Order: sequence, then C-alpha cells, then structure tokens
Amino acid sequence: MNHKILYNILIFGFLFFGMWSCTIDEQVDPNNPDLESLINNPTVIGLNNVVIGIEAGSRNGYQQLVTAPGTIARELYLFDADPRNTQDLLGADGMQLDNNTFYITAPYNSRYRVVRNCNILLEAIQNELTLSETEKNGYTAFAKTFKAYMFLQVLNLLDENGIRVDVEDPDDLGPFVSREQAFQRISQLLDEAATELNNAGDNFRFGLSNGFIGFDSPATFRQFNRAMAARVHLYRENYAEAAQALAESFFDINGDLSTAVQHIFSTASGDILNPVFRIPNQSGNQIILHDRYIENLQDGDTRLDLKTRLRVDPSSARGLNGQRETALYDGPTAPIDIIRNEELILIDAEIKWAQGNYAEAVASLNVIRNAFGLPDYAGELNEGEVFDELLYNREYSLWCEGHLMIDYRRFGLLNDDFLPIDREGDIIHLRFPIPIVDLVI
Amino acid sequence: MNNSEIPSGSRFASGANVGNEENASNRLADLDPNDIESIEVLKGASAAAIYGMRANAGVVIITTKKGSAGKTKINFSQDLGINTIQRFVGRREYTAEQIEERFGPADRALFEQRMAQGGLFNYEEEIYGNTGIISETRLSASGGNDKTKFYIGGSIRDEEGIILRTGHKRRSLRANIEHKINERVTLNSNTNYINSVANRSFSGNENDGGLSHGYNLAFTRDWVNLFPDENGVYPDNPNAAGNPLFVRDLTENSETINRVIQGLKLNMDLIRKDNMLLRLNFNGGLDFFLNETFVYVPETHQAQRGNDNGFIGVGKNKFMNLNYQAFAVWENYLMDGALTLSTQTGVSYLNFDRDLILNRSTQLIPGQRNLTQGGAQQITQQYQFEEEFGYVIQQEANYDDKIIATVGARFDKSSLNGDPNKLFPFLKASTAINIANFDFWTSETINQFKVRAAYGETGSSANFGALFTSLNAVNIGGAPGTLISPSRGTPNLIPETSSEFEVGFDLGLFNNRIGFEATYYNRTVFDLLFGRAMPSSSGFTTEFINDADLRNSGVELALKATPINNSRLQWNTNVLFWVNRSEVTRLGVPPFVPPGAGFGLSLGTFFVEEGEPITQFKGNTPEGTVEIGDTEPDFQMSFFNTLVIDQKWELGFLLHWKQGGDVLNLTRFLTDIGGTTPRELDNLPPNDPDQPAFFIEDASYLRLREISLFYNLPKIPNVEAWKIGLSARNPLTWTNYSGYDPEVSVNGGQGISTGLDVGPFPSARQFYFHLNVTF
Repeated sequence: MNHKILYNILIFGFLFFGMWSCTIDEQVDPNNPDLESLINNPTVIGLNNVVIGIEAGSRNGYQQLVTAPGTIARELYLFDADPRNTQDLLGADGMQLDNNTFYITAPYNSRYRVVRNCNILLEAIQNELTLSETEKNGYTAFAKTFKAYMFLQVLNLLDENGIRVDVEDPDDLGPFVSREQAFQRISQLLDEAATELNNAGDNFRFGLSNGFIGFDSPATFRQFNRAMAARVHLYRENYAEAAQALAESFFDINGDLSTAVQHIFSTASGDILNPVFRIPNQSGNQIILHDRYIENLQDGDTRLDLKTRLRVDPSSARGLNGQRETALYDGPTAPIDIIRNEELILIDAEIKWAQGNYAEAVASLNVIRNAFGLPDYAGELNEGEVFDELLYNREYSLWCEGHLMIDYRRFGLLNDDFLPIDREGDIIHLRFPIPIVDLVI
Repeated sequence: MNNSEIPSGSRFASGANVGNEENASNRLADLDPNDIESIEVLKGASAAAIYGMRANAGVVIITTKKGSAGKTKINFSQDLGINTIQRFVGRREYTAEQIEERFGPADRALFEQRMAQGGLFNYEEEIYGNTGIISETRLSASGGNDKTKFYIGGSIRDEEGIILRTGHKRRSLRANIEHKINERVTLNSNTNYINSVANRSFSGNENDGGLSHGYNLAFTRDWVNLFPDENGVYPDNPNAAGNPLFVRDLTENSETINRVIQGLKLNMDLIRKDNMLLRLNFNGGLDFFLNETFVYVPETHQAQRGNDNGFIGVGKNKFMNLNYQAFAVWENYLMDGALTLSTQTGVSYLNFDRDLILNRSTQLIPGQRNLTQGGAQQITQQYQFEEEFGYVIQQEANYDDKIIATVGARFDKSSLNGDPNKLFPFLKASTAINIANFDFWTSETINQFKVRAAYGETGSSANFGALFTSLNAVNIGGAPGTLISPSRGTPNLIPETSSEFEVGFDLGLFNNRIGFEATYYNRTVFDLLFGRAMPSSSGFTTEFINDADLRNSGVELALKATPINNSRLQWNTNVLFWVNRSEVTRLGVPPFVPPGAGFGLSLGTFFVEEGEPITQFKGNTPEGTVEIGDTEPDFQMSFFNTLVIDQKWELGFLLHWKQGGDVLNLTRFLTDIGGTTPRELDNLPPNDPDQPAFFIEDASYLRLREISLFYNLPKIPNVEAWKIGLSARNPLTWTNYSGYDPEVSVNGGQGISTGLDVGPFPSARQFYFHLNVTF
C-alpha cells in the first residue's frame, strides 16, 4: 500500500477518535427499581411490591429480637460462634451492653428499614392516580399498622431510653421521644389505621402472604390491628382501652389458642428461613432452655415438652449449662406467630386481674391451663397469687418469643431478686442502649 | 487489568457477613511473573497524575517481555518446590485435672480414653500440615529480525496448598509480536491467554456454618476423634459447628478463570527531522474473562443437615474490559539539541461491562453436585457498567539534562460520577535540577546531585452503584416484594481528588557506586468518597458521600550501593526506609465505625474520626470509646542484596522489617473461648490485667522474604547458558505476633480492613529447586 494513503487513514482515524467527544449516558440502576420513580410515578403493582417488602422485611433481624431479650430474661441461652451472646447479654463480671454490637444493631436497623418502607408506601400512595380513596385507605392502614408494630419492637428493647418516631425525612430525623410519648404515637398509628380500615372497602387491592390467611381483608386485618392495640394498651396499663381493643380483635376465649397472624418462611428464591429454628442436637448453634423452666414446671404442664426437647448431650458453654433445647419450630420453614389467640387470652386475664376481677382472670387462665394438661387453678383468689399464676402462664406460653424481658420489666421483676444469677458477677440488664450511630447526629 | 475480588457466595453456607469475608483471590495473580520484563510502580499523585481518575491508589505499569532481533533463543525452565505452613500457632496442652476443671468430667473421661488409645490428635497439624508440591514448567522462544520480533511462551504451574485438596493451577500462553511496517510505523500485538483454577477450602470469619477451618479448629478438642469410620462416615464435631476433616475432605470451594488479554499498539513517526519528531501513538486493549466459582457443602455436613440440607453455589461472572488511547507526541530539539521540548496530547477511553450471576441450590438430593438437584434455588444477578473518557495534555522541557520541567493536565469524565459528562481536571507539574550537571560543579566524589519537586493530582470515582438509592428484591412465601436498600446512594457524587506534593534529592557518589535518594511527600485526598454510617433510624445504615479529607505524609529514603565490584565479586545492596502517617483532616459527618471493617466497638474496630489516623482501632471501655491501637507501622525498612561470585554464583536476598503497627487478633479471641490457645500466650492482652481489654497485638516483624542461590553451569555445546538454583520465599520470620502471620488481612486487600485476624488461611513458605536452560 502506498504509504501516503496509509498515513492519511491513520491520521484521519486519530483525529476521528481524538475529536470524538464521547457522551456518557445518564446512569440508571440496571439492577434494582429506583426509589425516586417509585415515589413520583407509582403503579399499583409497584406499591403492592412495597407492601410485600414490608411484610418480608419485618422478619429480618428476628433472631436477635427473640434471643437477646430472651437471654436477659433468663429464658434461654444462645450458644453460637459469638460469645457476646453469653458474655454481654448476661452481664458477665458486670459487663454493660454495648451500643455497637449486633444484638442491638441487627434488630434496630432492620425494624427501621421496614419503617422506611412504610413511609415510602405512605408517600408514594399519595401520588398514585388510579386508586380510589377507599382503596388507598387499605394501603395506608397496612403501612401504619406495620410501622406501629416495628416501633413497638424497638421500644420494647430501648424502653426508657426512648425511640425516634418522626423518621419520615432521613436527613432531618426527629428527636428521641420518651417511652410514654412513643407509646402514644404507636397507639395513635394503630388507631388511625383502624379508622382507615373501617373505610377501606371489602377487599384490599394488594395481597399478603399466607401468614395473613384469615386476616387479609380490611375487616379481618383490623382484628389483627386491634390485637396489637390491645398488647400496647396492656403495656401502658390502659386496661379499659385494652379491653375495648381486645373485643374488636380476633380474641376468642373459646377458640383455638393457635389462631394467629404469622411470619412465614420458605425456600423460594429471595426468601429466608426461620431464624429461630435450630437443628436438633446441633453442636454449633443452639438455643438452650434456661434450667429454671424445668425446676418451676407445674406437674402435668405439657408446654415444656411441646416447646423444647431433651438434648442427647447436655450443653454447656462458658460456665452455663442446659439440658433442653428449643423445639418450638419443627423445621426451617415453620412460621413464627406475630400474635395469637393464646396471648390475647392472657391479655384478657391480665386486664381482669388488674381490675381486681380475680375469679374472671382465673377463668381465662384456666382455658390456657386446661389446654396444656393442667387442671383448673386451685390457689387463692388474691392479687399476688393470681399474678403469680398469670406470670407463670406468660412464661410458659410465650417462651422464646421475645416477651418475657418486657413482662418482667413492667412488673418490676427484671432484677436478681426475682431472676437467678447463673455465674458469680453476672448482672441483669434492664434495657438496650441506643445504637452509637443514632447517638451522634 | 481488572483486579476485582469476586465473591463466590460461600457466605450463604458459612454465615459470613459480607462478600469480602470470603477471601476471594486477587486477579493480579493471573499474570505469569516470568512473562514480565519490568514492573514500574508509580506511587502517589505526582507520579501517576497522567493516569487521572483511576490512579488514586497509584499505578502499576507491567511491561511484558519482547523479543530481540537475532538468533532465536529458546528458554526452558523447570521449578520444583514445596509449600509448607510458616509456623504453627500451637494447641493448648492439658492435664486430666485441667480438662475436668475447664470442660467437665465427661471430657476428662474422653481425654483419658484417648490417651490410653495412643495420645491426642493435633488437628492444627492435621489441617494445616500438608506439604504441597509445586511444579512449574516454562518454555519460551524469542527472536526475529529487523522488521519483526517475537516472544512466545507458555507455562504450566501446579501448586498444592498447605491444606490437603487446596492449591492453584495456572496455564498461560503468550505471544508478543512487534512488526515494523516501515521505518516509521511499528505495530505491536500482545496476546495472553490464562486458565487458572484455585481450590481454597474455607477460612476467615463465619457464623456457625461449620466451614472455616480457623473457626472449627478454635473449638475442636484434640481428644475427640473426628476421623471417618470404616464406612467413610465422618463423626459430627460435638464442640464446633463443623468437623474440619469433613470440610477438608468433602467440601469444595473453587474458582476457575479463563481469560484473554489482548493489546494492540501502533506507533507512527509522522515527522522525523533532525530538530523535531511528531509521533502518533494508538493503543487499544481488551481484557475478557469468565470467572466461575463453585462452592459445595454436602447435605451430610452437620450444620446443613435438617436445615439447608446441602449447599451448591455456582457463580458465572463475565468481565469485559476495553480501553483505548490515542496520543500525539511532538518533540522539538532546540539550541543545538541542548533543549528538548516534548508535547503530548491525547484521549483515553475505558469501558467495563460486568455481569455477575450467582446461582445457589439447597435442599440437595443426596450426593449430587448439580444445581438442578436441589429443592430450593436462589438466583442473584448484578450488572456493573462503567465508562470513562479523558483528555490529556502534557508539556515537558529538558535543558541539557540540567533542568527538567513538566506541566500537564488531564480532564476526565466517568459514568460513576453524578454528572457523567462533567470533566474534572487533574493537574501536574514537576521540576528537577541536576546540579552536578552544571559547569560550576567540580566535585569528583559527588557525581550526581539532583533536586526535585513535584505536584500532581489524581482522582477516584465512586464504586458502581453508589449513585443510586434502590429497592432490593425480597420474597415471602413466593410473593416478590421490594424493600429499601440499606445503602443510600448520593446522586451528585464527584470524584475524590488526591493532591500530592513531594520534594527530594538524589545523590550519586563515586561514579554512582553509592546512590542516595530522599523524598518527603504530603498527599491529601479531598472530598474522600466513603460509605459513612447513617443514623439507622433513618432506615439506611450507610450512605456514600464525598465529605472528608485525608492526609498522608511521609518520608522515603533509599540507599543503593555497589560496595564491591571486581572480577571475583560484585555486591549490590539496596536499603529502603519509609514511614507514613495519616490523619483525617476533615470529616463532615460525626465520627463513625466504617461498615464491614470489624465487629463492633465491643471487640474493637476501625473508627473514622477527624484529627485521628484512618488506621486507628477504637473500642468501648468503661471510660468510653478510646483508641486501642493503630495498624500504621512506626516505620518500615527493606534490605535487598545481590552477590555475584566468580561470575558463577548468584546470591540474592530480600529482608523486610516492619516496626510497630497493630493487629486485632480475633483468632485468639476464638481460641480463648474454645480453650485451644497455647498456654504461653496466656499473658497477652486482654488476659493480662495490666493491658487493655482487647485482642490487640504489636505486629512488628523482620522477614526474609526471598533468598536465592544460582549456579551458572559450565558451557556445553548447543547450549548457550544453563544454571541451577535453590530459592525460598518467606522462609524465616522473626516476630512476637502470636498468630499465623503478622501480615494478615482477612477481609481482602481492599479498604482499611488490613490488620484483622479472624481464622485466616495460614501463610505458607516455599522452597524451590530451579533449572534454567537457554538454547
């Protein structure tokens, strides 16, 4: 080839590439839906995905939500790879809880992540153009109910340290409010949702998982909402309101104790397994029943055998011992109850006890007792003894479900006068600290 | 080259927290070191400025071998070697009474039974005690004529690891061809194909997956028999989440690479006269590789049984990287050649296209290793696209090698920046004065005296995805949902800019028999890009922002000398000393724990804080959050020596001394819990009440990194040269650090996570025999 021509081609090519000012396209996330377009141009399908996201996300961090307060309440030990589950949580040598460790950050972060999804739903729904106000009420009621559920779980951990409830704007978070203010906000959210559910038509425009079978229409979801409201009012010692909420919930003194709203789990792609299930007789990762449950068991109570099994080898770690391990869930896809009739009956009993109706309280407790192989209560009908029976039933009916730390604390029993100290130097914590990331702002 | 560490998804079986805990291998290892002619490391912005937005961490220029005109040379070499662990940490020794006190009477009975049956096992040696065979064979030919030169070579390397069934294989083929089309136009083509397979077993952090050897060994008791019975059934480990022998023998964690790297270069001298040269330079390349990962945990593993029932993870990750540069170089020789002016201008373009797919299968049909043979499948896919474009202009002036000055600028834009079409400038300027080259310099002793100063800027864009606030895919019972991602993106990110100023001087004495170089540098990264910890009540845990400045400053001294140089002995020595200090000079957000670089303040973690080094460890104590350590060494030195004796013997060795710098030894935290820490380590912090309550240790060391001795054999017919030799890599280390290796980094090579020791894959040392023949 003539070299002149070759040069010309090369020079032309050089100029072409050199002058070619490559324009780079505006970037969009090729992997995920974009938040901004979801909020500004929502579609019904997109919003329904956010609803499912809320339900799915509320299961994240669930293990620590059960095992961390459960360890503090001396319900159980978590023997796994991380010794902080038995050192920090049991206050070994007076050790305080840390504000930058998974036992608080995992449940705290995951709860607030769901709250963010609820707030996204509440914001986006306003920009949706095809849904009726009635239909939108269903969405907002769902979001508010779950937001309240998430706030309640965080408040249960942080207690008097307070929580943030005004978190709509991630760049301008509201202050930590007191426990009482937080309770008020939670009740308010539940009440707003209940009102909206009255005006949400016969059906939701969105689907829920099988954990909400029987609670997936505005009228029946409202029964779940009221059950949560009853739990909150009980904690607040608003017994009249609690009784009212209970009456509007799915509480049924003669009904199946196991009727429940549930978190479900599956092996579907993207789904998770039950984080509180444990492989029988595992050596690595175990949830061990605190032996005091064996000692305190009333003769004939079947709950111990229903919920736990005797290990082939007793387990011990770091000076702690236990003979029985969890059998609460029979497989990795077994559901976890969010709230069930059994708890509602216990709430009913507690309201009656608090109002001094000891005989009625005992009648409710007998429903539970009889269901688990125990005869009718035969003790005295006075405040103290009925209380002991109430607490006993809460301990055995709600074991390893994240309740007892809150119960002991509200009854003033979260201390070493009431609970055993397993190792010299252990202390009993009252509440979790505010995570360090939320302290400095 | 792209050196991303690609997670294999093993964390879904092991319970590790994040991908960087999976100990993925670094892709730089794909290059056959024997194909390399030279490696030039441009550290710091002033040297690397011309590389603009990708150069914040420095630039490594690897030049591969070329042929030379003349007789064709055939080179054959064979290495044979062994791989062994550098050191065993050891296991705790117990008497029967001590066993009973610590583990109870049942373990005492097991212990006594074991002692009666032939003594304790040593599971550390059982797992890490393999002597791996290394073999490497290389064949290359090079030669050519005035017009065409070539270098072609191939190599096969097979290396067994210190754990049975681990190792690394690499097959590499290379063809480098240079052809002069005519006097003025030269074409180069470099082609490299690599096939490599790595089997890594499991190491590092995890949570109850029962896979990581470091974890399992920490809890395994040496009096418990974990060996398979006559039917090949491995007993469950009653004390840990997994049986390390089961993991060693029956699980898989491998990575296969098939990679083609192709470069094309065209140089054209457009104008060549006595007083000027105009040259055009085109450079294009592609780097394509398919990375395939395979993780297999049988359904019989004790942490799988009854839960996931076996795990298969198959990753298919495609990487396509393209680059293109076009430069014009214009050189002008003025003042009778005393002054050279050189102007360079051009454009540069990069395009990365990645598609990462990970398939997982659980609930396996027994014995099966096919993704299909499982009851539950999970798929994740991630695309990553990057595009970058830059303009470069640079002017250099050299006056008679007395004064050399350069100014330059680069303007870059990138799809990783908030505004993908905004050009960001990166400037550079440098000058050097060779005082000894001036006429007034008369010293005979000091033959070179050069004073230099340089300023340069480089940049770095955010990682892919940092611009987006997205919704993640979730699922409940088969229904798809979207949940806000916990990492919040920032749509208006700009590249961080590193500005470096350095001054120094070079001295040459006795005709360069002794050379001395001293450099001081001060490098500040402005608008540092980082993922800060958000107040998590916002629903986000991290947010990518540009809101900090980080300064690194330090001194580097180099002494090069040829103390002896005669026909019997040539001795070259090279001593380097360097020291660096960092400080976060501005932090626009409250101090925070960087995500993924530790395990919380209760165990001690990195902590980013204004006015403090980026390398500090902090921890929560009763007195509050206090500094407990710092990974930055006080200083480092290296000593490199080569001796040639009688033109026959060649001896070389490299010593590296690191003084100071802490490591957070959480492996010992685990072995303390498991009761396996050797007794002689009982007085280390935090067990000693006089020391801080954290597992912080000084990780100073002196290490013999390389030593080699070659003998050039006497000439024989038809053989141009042949030599044999012995060498060793990391044969000796002197350190008080109690873990496997003071140079530990369990979270991979990226970010500020070096200095964390959590059940690492122990470092190996290697001994080789070499044979090298040139025909």
